Amino acid sequence: MTPAVTAARLSKAYRKWGRTRAFGTLKSALLGRSLGAALAPSEVVVALSDVSFTVARGETFGVVGPNGSGKSTLLKLVAGLFKPTSGQLTVDGKVSALIELGAGFHPEISGRENVVINGVMLGLTRKEIERKLPEIVAFSGLEDFIDEPVKTYSSGMYVRLGFAVAVHVDPDILVVDEVLAVGDEAFAHRCLDTIAEFSRRGKTIFFVSHSLVLVEELCDRVLYLEHGRVKGLGDPREMLAAYRLDVAAGEGARLAMEHRKDQEILRAPAHSPIEENPPLPDASRKQDAEPPPEQSLEQRTPLRRWGNRDVSITGCRLLDASGVERYAFRSGESVTIEIAVAPRVPTTDFVFGIGIFTPDEVCVHGTNTEIDGFLPKSLDGPGTVRVTLPRLDLGTGTYLVDVAVHSQRETPYDYWRGACRFQVDSEDQGAGLYRPERRWTFSGGVSVGAR
Amino acid sequence: MLKNLAGLWRHRALFYVLVARELKARYRGSVLGFFWSLLNPLLMLAVYALVFAVIFQGRGASTSPYALFLFSGLLPWNWLSSALTDAASSLTTHGALLRKILFPAEVLPLVAVVAQGIHFVFAVPVLLAGLVLGSLGVFGTRVPIGWPLVQAVPLLVLEGVFLSGVGLFLASLTVHFRDVKDLLATALSLWFFATPVLYALSEVKQERVRALLVLNPAAPLFDAWRDALFYSRWIEPSRWGVLLAIAGVAFLTGYALFDRLRDSYPEAV
Repeated sequence: MTPAVTAARLSKAYRKWGRTRAFGTLKSALLGRSLGAALAPSEVVVALSDVSFTVARGETFGVVGPNGSGKSTLLKLVAGLFKPTSGQLTVDGKVSALIELGAGFHPEISGRENVVINGVMLGLTRKEIERKLPEIVAFSGLEDFIDEPVKTYSSGMYVRLGFAVAVHVDPDILVVDEVLAVGDEAFAHRCLDTIAEFSRRGKTIFFVSHSLVLVEELCDRVLYLEHGRVKGLGDPREMLAAYRLDVAAGEGARLAMEHRKDQEILRAPAHSPIEENPPLPDASRKQDAEPPPEQSLEQRTPLRRWGNRDVSITGCRLLDASGVERYAFRSGESVTIEIAVAPRVPTTDFVFGIGIFTPDEVCVHGTNTEIDGFLPKSLDGPGTVRVTLPRLDLGTGTYLVDVAVHSQRETPYDYWRGACRFQVDSEDQGAGLYRPERRWTFSGGVSVGAR
Repeated sequence: MLKNLAGLWRHRALFYVLVARELKARYRGSVLGFFWSLLNPLLMLAVYALVFAVIFQGRGASTSPYALFLFSGLLPWNWLSSALTDAASSLTTHGALLRKILFPAEVLPLVAVVAQGIHFVFAVPVLLAGLVLGSLGVFGTRVPIGWPLVQAVPLLVLEGVFLSGVGLFLASLTVHFRDVKDLLATALSLWFFATPVLYALSEVKQERVRALLVLNPAAPLFDAWRDALFYSRWIEPSRWGVLLAIAGVAFLTGYALFDRLRDSYPEAV
């Protein structure tokens, strides 16, 4: 049997026109240059390059990749909307694309009339669509509104009707692009059921989604695209693991860069009024706990750093188990927070503290050297403080680290809110911030099996 | 190109529902609905009758009664200007469709031409009523009325083909040059005065100007409309030949450009 979709060294380049094209003026084409020159592209953006794959009949084929990796372009090529720049694409069978549901609905006319028009656009004859109309209306669940103009529909109703039409076109190849993100829970389930039903009937499904869970659940094989190139093709678990890892690494790199920028801004000793001012008399130090009123960096980033700087924090970074600086971690990994400190004058009164927060200011954990039972002896010169959390059992998300050094009577020397930021990636489906290891035991009349 | 033209026939159902949608959507929500297709030209006739019969009097006998004379040219002109305006922006306004659904894009400008053509056809009974009244001498000079009126049918087809060609041409240009839309408004008003709508070609006395006006591809068409509707005269075969040639060339040129740029529409709109 011939495959449903065959792509051989498929490439797609978008033509991008230069500045003269930006306003698309006829004048610029008629005057100065010839019409042909004005229509010629000045720059080419490659959206897909050298992509080859085959999709067997009846296969559910997933496509994943970050934004701008060429997923949508690939779908539009398969749907026949765009023409490939080079390479071969063979699509065998009737394609129905769920690219934008309800595209072409006219707001002024009724849902029923729109269904007929949409059906005809998708390739049904008028007779076929008239015959399927009751079924489509029932599927959409819009019996009460079907004769109202579409402009009165909510966006959910709109999409439901669009989906209902698209699946009743009875395609051989169904192209699904991120449509399940809209509509309510019940409808999303119905969509998934319909897609599963399609698959059971031996139809080919071309599936693009950012919901990796869905892709893993539905797809037989997955194509992983990056920058328009094939990064991998094969088993969904394998591809998605690779994709997740890359996303985490990318996120880590971004955070590391942000971290460096942050440190530069906040450290910036030459511009800091605190560094320029002479030491303040003791009496005024309490007030100094608030950000200074002068034109300062702290004002630009309100309340991110305060304290009298008798001891200042000169740096903060995160290290993994092997001592490498990193800002993206997997749940359960070891994390070390390292703080570099320097006293203005030697002191014997100091406490180091750390806190981990979610971006919406929920404290995940906070502690200091006093709580953990250390007594300060002396701080004579620059040094580093490290605290290691051997297992960071946190859920997926971004977390902020606060670091501080203060006196035992809690006069802040240097409090730095959000000194670091890190990303945690967890495959654990459990809820909440904390992802501990679990062990279940069942006894008596309880019996369970593996899923 | 020929293959694409043939493919168009397979999509006639789409064509049909889109024209129906266009017509339905236009008057949805208005109290009088389809009557506006009739009422609009009637009101227009009243306005022109008032202006030219009361305010500007004393035109030549050949164009009398002037209200009817004007009306017989103005109706096909309205079709021309509204169809071209709609057709020019048809691809850009339906950009969402082009980017999401696979169908022959030429359907869109053609639907614009045909939908406006139907409005024109709806207005014809008003003109006929006017002609009947005119032949009874209600507007002063009696107008002849007779069989040459049936020439309106082939003229309708010819104007439709002509407009389709120009419409396709403008639609494909508008995708790449958005300013065609603005330019078109001005161009249409220039074209209006260059076309024998307000006057008859025979009224133009200066030979040089007349020679220039004849170059206007719409001039023979509107001359023919006038002969068929107002003067009730038969049009000579040679003139039919000219009309056919103009419509054919316009259609083939427009379609050729449209077809050549076809692949660029989903990306450029």
